[in-house]
This record gives sequence, structure tokens and C-alpha cells, in this order.
Amino acid sequence: MDTYLQITTVVGVYVAGVVFVAGMGWRIYQWATTPKSPVRLGMFPKPKTRGGRIIKMLKDTLIAPHSARIEPRMWLFAMMFHVAALAAFVGHLRLIQEYPILPELLGAEGMNAFAGWAGGIAGTLMMVAVLYWIARRTFGPFKQLSVPEDYLLLALLLGVIIMGNHMRFIGHVHAADYREWFQSLLAFKPVIPDSIRFSNVGWSLGTHMLFVNALLIYFPFSKLVHTIGSFSANLVRSE
Amino acid sequence: MSDDIKVDLELDLKGLLCPLPMVRVSQNITNVPVGGVIRAVATDPGAMADIPAWAQSTGNEIMSAGKEGSEFVFLVKRVK
Amino acid sequence: MDSQQITTLTGVLDKKMNRQLKQYLDICARCAICKDACHQYVATGDFTYLPARRAELIRQIYKKYFTKTGEFVPALYEARDPDENLLDELYESTYACTGCRRCMYYCPFSIDTAWILSVAKAILIAAGRGNEMLGQLADAAIFKSDNFDMFRDVIVSGFKDIEAELKELTGDPSAEIPVDKKGADILYVALAGAHSILPAAAIFHEAGTSWTLSMFESANYGFFFGDAEKARKIADRFMDEAVRLGVKEVVITECGHAYRVANIFHEAWTGKKHPFKVRHILEVIDEYIKDGRLKVSRCIDVPVSYHDPCQVGRNGGIFEQPRDIVRALATDFRDMTPNREQQWCCGGGGGIVAISEMDAFRLKSGKKKVEQIRATGAKIVASPCENCRLQMEGLNETEDLGVRIAAIMDLVIECMDLPGRKQAAEGA
Repeated sequence: MDTYLQITTVVGVYVAGVVFVAGMGWRIYQWATTPKSPVRLGMFPKPKTRGGRIIKMLKDTLIAPHSARIEPRMWLFAMMFHVAALAAFVGHLRLIQEYPILPELLGAEGMNAFAGWAGGIAGTLMMVAVLYWIARRTFGPFKQLSVPEDYLLLALLLGVIIMGNHMRFIGHVHAADYREWFQSLLAFKPVIPDSIRFSNVGWSLGTHMLFVNALLIYFPFSKLVHTIGSFSANLVRSE
Repeated sequence: MSDDIKVDLELDLKGLLCPLPMVRVSQNITNVPVGGVIRAVATDPGAMADIPAWAQSTGNEIMSAGKEGSEFVFLVKRVK
Repeated sequence: MDSQQITTLTGVLDKKMNRQLKQYLDICARCAICKDACHQYVATGDFTYLPARRAELIRQIYKKYFTKTGEFVPALYEARDPDENLLDELYESTYACTGCRRCMYYCPFSIDTAWILSVAKAILIAAGRGNEMLGQLADAAIFKSDNFDMFRDVIVSGFKDIEAELKELTGDPSAEIPVDKKGADILYVALAGAHSILPAAAIFHEAGTSWTLSMFESANYGFFFGDAEKARKIADRFMDEAVRLGVKEVVITECGHAYRVANIFHEAWTGKKHPFKVRHILEVIDEYIKDGRLKVSRCIDVPVSYHDPCQVGRNGGIFEQPRDIVRALATDFRDMTPNREQQWCCGGGGGIVAISEMDAFRLKSGKKKVEQIRATGAKIVASPCENCRLQMEGLNETEDLGVRIAAIMDLVIECMDLPGRKQAAEGA
């Protein structure tokens, strides 16, 4: 158990962090240093001003109104996933530092209850969306179009989410303990607090991080680079 | 003089707009044997330049191209 | 397939690589939202024509030869060599594509599948698999300009015949079709046929325009073939003419791709800014009608609909002028649903009308357009693109739509007060 946690929640996190940051940096560097197409690839109607183009790009990227029109159900699940993932990300920032104001308003107990609700909802929505995507890829043209990469990423995501939900719904460990672990990583003096090691979710944190690390390591080499690339690709639409 | 030449295929391209007359001749050139002749009749004046240009750029031969009334008549020989 | 050929084909991909292409190949999530955007996929349900699939073939080569992960774990991406199987499918899906970019419109990342396929065409050409007919048409156009002395007299005498018709139509014996006129305001670039010259000449005559007719047609089969060098040469023919004559603007006839080539592609290909404006003839006619330079009556009382050619609308930015012209001519204008930037491709673009092996497929792919036209109840469908009209003529026949497919200029002519036209009508 200790070895497992040592690998996934300490060594793995460092490795994944380095690979992710370096990989994304490399990816962006490659994009930035490849010359732009001399042909303007935009389509009409397009905004006349630069500000208008940027606003349209943000709208197209963050809301995808055109996709909503042609396949509303897919759009709904995709929005559900991405918004929930963003919420989960914001929630995880508590690992670095507790939010100001909120805990004072809600009290320590209230804050944990709120995080429990919010995190639980986000985790559930993400899981439903990923299950929908998996189901969608099992039939018809979607199946034909899918490659192993697609299933690998969905499997990794599902692993991350299920283990996260497990910690959220089954465990009784709260943010403060996880924060102790994460801050120790940031300080390069890694400690896994006893409150986690000897709890019923020690192994789920380990497995959660196993999937997270794998996802982060593969991220820069997968189609998930659309998280960044979609902004510039959508900007090209108005050029 | 065209009476002396054996025509292997007649193409009626009347009413077709450019570049379709050229397209039809090109599509049909393999339907005649090497050395065979297509007689094509078009009404679009653009064909007067297009069909000879096609023939020469593809290495075929225009035996004659001329105006007969409001029609343009071509004799195209398949060379290869 | 030997390694030499693989090197050649991946070399083409390397040479054509640019930021947009790289991003498109890196970020596609294969979500297949594009499937319902493509008229060909919707009409046939054939996986080959699913836009993301068409791009996926290029992505498979890219992953294997341009990414480390694809090189070491090709199975993960189904990365593979550009072998015969891949090229067979690529030929089918690439030359079938009309380049309408409707998939790009709906894609959450705005991936330009047509742009990826333009690279696919370069790869096919390098593999000796470029479409033969489109290649021949491109070569014929280039041959014509390289050996212009050989064709000059024939072309000019063709123009003289049309000029005689113009005199009759306008009832003005001094009406002319000027060629090679230095200092004219407009160089009008038509298609090779009389149908795109005579109406424009009559309109310019009535509006008192200072214009001159290009010796060359605007149609660009080099663009459809997929050879940017040939496409540039073909467009150079009239662009150089425009520079030589010192015109203020180049006006492209009722054609889709030629307008996009002239307006968007040509400057990028040459790296030089045009010393003149480029406009579509419908922009000019709309301006003439609104300025009162061209008098037309609202002479059409049957319902008229308008089809946005993809290269004029979504890819060219002209949506309202043709509609305004039609509204000035007809009492009952009925737009299709959807329209403008969401307009369905009719299925006739990208040079597919010249590929006879694809004729049956092409007509089948017009299913959505047939439904749209039927739903309007229109008797006339107007559209400013020759390929669109050819395709819709075909659909009209096979599907018994009972409509008239018309060029906008023809409708304008019908609603102008032209003595010659009246005589012709009375005579008929």
C-alpha cells in the first residue's frame, strides 16, 4: 500500500507534471513555429473588427452554438462534461489553498458540505457524459470512425472520475488532509498524511492519481490538445 | 473534305455550355480506337478555342475545326 | 508500396504543412458532429463521405510520419502508410468533396476539412492519381494562354458573333464588346460560353459602364484538380491582363469558385497585393439597380427562390446582393430553409460535374437540395454558379421538380426594357 501510494501520489505526480508541462509547451512551440497558411481560411459572415473576431472566437469555442444546432444532444453532453470538468478543476484548487470568504460564510462544516454537493454533482455529470460518449462510440459511423486513442482516453477519464467519485461519496477525508499532501508535493517535501494512508480511501486516492497521471502524461500527445488548439482554430474561422 | 474521313463516333454537344463540350470529347476519346476520329458538333462559341486547346495539350489531333451556320464542327483524331 | 514512394508522398505533406493544417490534424476529436452537415454523407450514409473520415486518412499518414507517438504506437491512432488502399479511398472521398465547407461551419473547432483535402489532392497528384479529367481541363486552359497567338483570332471572332447578338438585343448598332481596352474601369472575366458574356454586355451597355472583356475564362480547373501552381497560372491569365490594361476592378462572372480564387486565393498564391478591386458581377448589378443606373421592372410573378453557391455565400461572403436583385425582379421571393451561411450544398461543386464516373453519386447527393427546392414551392430557382445550375438542372430532370433553373443575369435581362428581347419574344 505504501509503495503503491508512493508511486502514484508522489513519484507519478512529479513525472506526470513534468511530462504534461513540457509536452504542452512542445506542442504549442510546434504550432507557433509552423508558418501560417498564406491563404485566409475564414468563412462568412465574419466580424469586421479584431475585437469582434476575438469575441466570436470565444463564443464559438466556449459555447459552440453551431454544433448545438446540428446535434443538440451531443452538444448537451459535451457542455455538461466540460462545465463539470471546469467546476471540478476549480474545486481542486482547494488543494493548493483554501478559498477566501466562502469558508467564513459557511463555516468549516458548511464548506465541506458545499464542496461535497458541488463536487458530487460535477463528478456525476462528468461520469454520465463519459458513459454517453462511450455508448455513442459503440454504434454506426461513430464506431467506424473511432480509433483506439478515443477509447483509451475515455477509459482514463472514466477511471479518474469513478475514483474521484469514490473518494467523494465513500470517503470521509476532507480537503484539509488532501491539501496537506498536495502542498507537501509542491514544497518538494512529499508526505502522505496518516489521515489518508489509514483511511478507507487511501487506495482510491492512489488509483485516482494513477489514472490522472496516465491522462496527464498522454494528454499532450492526444487529441485532448483541442483544449488549447480549438481557440486558435476557431479564430482562423474569422480570418 | 470531311466526307473522305471515316468518323468513328458522332458527338452532339449542342446546347452544352463550356467547358462541357470539351469534357464530353475528352470522356469519349477512349471510346474510339487509336487513330479513330470523333466528329463533335457544339453551339457554344467557347468550344472553338477550348476543344483545340484540349486536343493539343493532351497530344491528340484536331483535323478540322470550323463554323457551319450557327454550329461549330470539330474532327478530333485520337493519337495515343 | 516502396519506401521511395512513401517518402515522396510524405514529402508532399511536409511541404504543404502549415499551422492550420497541423492544428486540424492534431485537435480533431472525431466527435462526428460533421456527419449531418455533409450533403453527401446525409444522402448516402456511406462512411467514406463522412467529413471527419475524409480528413482521418490524411491524419493517419500524419500520425505515422510526423508524430513520435504515432511512429512508436501506430495502432493507437490506426496510423498507416499511404498505401494503395488508403489512396483508393482518398481518391474517392477527396474528388467527391465539393469543398462547400458546411462541415467547417458546424465543427466545434471549425476544422476546415476542404483545406485538409486540398493537401490530399496534392498527395494524390504526386502519386499519379490526380483526377485525369480535371487535370486535362487545367492543362488545356494553360495551353491556351501559353500559345495564345494560336487562339487569339478564334476567340476574338467568337466575341464578334456575340457582339452582333448584343446589337440586336439592345437595339443599338453602336453597342460593342470591347476587348483589350486600356484604361477601362472594369475587366469583366466571363466563362468561355456566350451565356455569360451577352447578358453582362447588355447590362454594362445599359448602365454605361466603361468595361473590357477578358480574353480568358474565369473557370479554374487547376483549383479543382488540386494543383495550386496550375491554378495560379490559370488565374494569372486574367490577373496579368488586368494589370496590363490598368483597370480599376476585376469583375468575375456568375461563378462560384472563380470568385473565391480571384478574391481570396490568388493574392496568397502570388504573395502580391492586387492593384485593383475584385468583385462579383452580382455586387456590381445590385449597385447599378440601387443607384438607378440600371432600370429593371418587377416582371416575374411566379415564386422565385435563390440558392447560395457555397463559394459565393459561405466561402465568398455574398449573401444579400443576389437576394436584393431577385427581390427587385420578382414579386414573390422565397428563401430556402436553411439559407445563407447554412445553405445546403447542391452537390455540384468542386469540379465533380466534370467527373462522369461520379454522375450517379452526384445526383443522389442532391437529396437535401431537392427537399429544399420542393419546400419553397418556387417555379424558378436562381443561382449564380454554373456548377450549381448544372447540378440543379440534373436534379430538376431526375426528380421532376418542374422548376426553371436560371442565372441571375438572365432574369435581370428579362426584366430590362430591351427592344431586341421584345422582338424575339413577339417573334416566338
